[in-house]
Amino acid sequence: MLLTFLSHQWTGFWRSRGKGGTIAAQLVMGFLVLYIIGVAILVGYSMNSLIEHFLPGKDVIVVFNGVILYYFAIDFLMRIQLQELPTLAVVPYLHLNIPKRKLVYFLNIRALFSAFNILPLLLFFPFSIIQIALSFGSFASSMYMVTIFALMVFNNYAALYFKRLSIVNIWVVIVGGAFLATVGLLEYFKVYSITSLSNIVFQRIALQPAMGFLFVALAIVMFIVNARYLRNNLYIEELKSGETKKSSTDYPFLDRFGDAGTLVALEIKLILRNKRSRSTAFKGLIFLFYGFLMYKQSSIDKNEFGLILFAALFMTGNLILVYGQFMFGWQSAEFDGLLANKVDIKTFFKAKFLLLTLSATALTLIVSLYGLISWKLAVVELAAYLYNVGVGTVVVLYFATRNAKAIDLSKGSNFNWQGVSATTMLLVLPTLLVPYLIYFPLSFLFHPYWGIAGLAIVGLAGILSRNFWLGFLVNEFNKRKYTIAAGFREKS
Amino acid sequence: MILEITDLKKIYADRTVVDIERLTINAGETIGVVGNNGAGKTTLFRMLLDLIRPDYGEIRSKGQSVAGSDAWKAYTASFLDEGFLIDYLTPEEYFVFIGSLHQLSVKDVEEYLHQYEEFFNGEIINRGKYIRDFSKGNQNKVGIAAALMQKPELLVLDEPFANLDPTTQIRLKAHLKLIAASQNITTLISSHDLNHVTDVCTRIILFEKGKVIKDLQTNENTLNELEAYFSG
Repeated sequence: MLLTFLSHQWTGFWRSRGKGGTIAAQLVMGFLVLYIIGVAILVGYSMNSLIEHFLPGKDVIVVFNGVILYYFAIDFLMRIQLQELPTLAVVPYLHLNIPKRKLVYFLNIRALFSAFNILPLLLFFPFSIIQIALSFGSFASSMYMVTIFALMVFNNYAALYFKRLSIVNIWVVIVGGAFLATVGLLEYFKVYSITSLSNIVFQRIALQPAMGFLFVALAIVMFIVNARYLRNNLYIEELKSGETKKSSTDYPFLDRFGDAGTLVALEIKLILRNKRSRSTAFKGLIFLFYGFLMYKQSSIDKNEFGLILFAALFMTGNLILVYGQFMFGWQSAEFDGLLANKVDIKTFFKAKFLLLTLSATALTLIVSLYGLISWKLAVVELAAYLYNVGVGTVVVLYFATRNAKAIDLSKGSNFNWQGVSATTMLLVLPTLLVPYLIYFPLSFLFHPYWGIAGLAIVGLAGILSRNFWLGFLVNEFNKRKYTIAAGFREKS
Repeated sequence: MILEITDLKKIYADRTVVDIERLTINAGETIGVVGNNGAGKTTLFRMLLDLIRPDYGEIRSKGQSVAGSDAWKAYTASFLDEGFLIDYLTPEEYFVFIGSLHQLSVKDVEEYLHQYEEFFNGEIINRGKYIRDFSKGNQNKVGIAAALMQKPELLVLDEPFANLDPTTQIRLKAHLKLIAASQNITTLISSHDLNHVTDVCTRIILFEKGKVIKDLQTNENTLNELEAYFSG
């Protein structure tokens, strides 16, 4: 029975509408996956020399030990964000003569098919096999692997369990979020360190390998908790989000923008009320923490804005990029209606500009808080903002006129390749690389400040010449509107 | 004459789906478009609304080519399928949005909806649901009502009776007859229900594989004639 389920899933995956796409896009995707796997294997295999190279003088095993729990902590956060609940896979079987026990079993096995469950094995197993066996013997080596495997399983089911609870009860999200934020902050301010905790744990396992079974027990408990919860709550209604009364809303502050404002209000509703667009947009909020990673005090002091600029561009413009790359696929379901109705195409594009500008403005206001660390950051962010609004929007909308791939808004956004085509990926190049073509020459010839100023000026030029670009885009759109509408009708 | 179709052709993969040499439609007519699946009804409607580019020929609305200008949008309202609805809005929001495109205020829209209370049968307004959560029949009601609300001179409906419950079908027929008599409106309706179209329409155009094969002014024999063709 389980094999039948899994073979259905397998055929479903290969026949899914979203998968199609051009062969080129599929090839690129395939290579990307192979590349990531390849890198993971390589990193895992050469972990020893990598640690020696990057952290010379440190004990390789201490570093390795310290990394493991840290990895799984981040892994857990990523899973919460990205891992899909496979629950809906079970809906077509619920009414059939199949015991619940089997369905739950299927769901649990199905949940293991995730990239998150391969990566840690590729990363940590080679080192455990080679180095740990060398230093502590084969029993310790195999218990390392058992522990890492158990941690992976634990994370897998804990993340799913937490997600399931959060669907039913919003408080779980709030309390859980607060808890995670506290843990994160304590780590950031070095009150304690996951690394040293991890080191202690794995040193113990190295010396007394049987300790590893503790983690196996933990994983089993987590598995049972999750399975039991599923079994008691296996109703379609409860697997999906709740039925609350929907009410009409409007955004009065958009009224001042006239017809374009009406369309923006429409699109904001689209974003907030559909799963795929909502999760895409909220994912953008995670990138707001890029600053903590990339804003290095040393490079601020030395006026090396390369990495800082990247973070600033991405943080202020990530909605333009991640939301804009699928335009107008978001509206594929009602595109015929929009075209047949009295919507002026120029207004349509004005609304797009307005929406993207508003998003960038809001994000910039938030990330300007980084300016508290150094005023230089605020200046770089302002330049990045101007560039994104002036140039990024035009680029994104130009590519949108060449995109005829529909998007099913009811699906999640993670690893969802529906609507992805070669053009949507090409889009990233001009928006993130061109700034460096402006910044680096000016920065080397004159001063980094001039590089930043150059970027801001190009952005301002884009904003001031917006009417020209508007006409240009309307023209491009009219050339291809039949192709776009036909593509959207196919529901890809 | 409000619509004028000349030498119109649409070809998909070597198959001609629409092939109309000449067809004119006069203002005030209520036209029923009938034909089996694949006759080209929906494709014709899409070309009429400039959603598909014809391979040859053109459609003129009030003398202007629909592919060239947007002028026709001001007096044309249509509902072909759910693709015309914005499914993440509540019906109220949708009506207000469509109204705003035609300079109707929220109050105008509310007033208008008032007169459709019977048509909606209490199932559309204030239900606290997004359009996507409605049944197909109720979605159709929203689309049809939104099209009628625009007070169009040209109304295009693709299979408006499909999925509607019997009561609503009868009410819709009565309403279409009423507006045809009282307003200056030209209506194009496609349908598989021969009783309904012969009842509502003043002229029936029968398509087969993209071609007009019959063009009849409705009289008491029309239904029999059509039934003879379709049982054919």
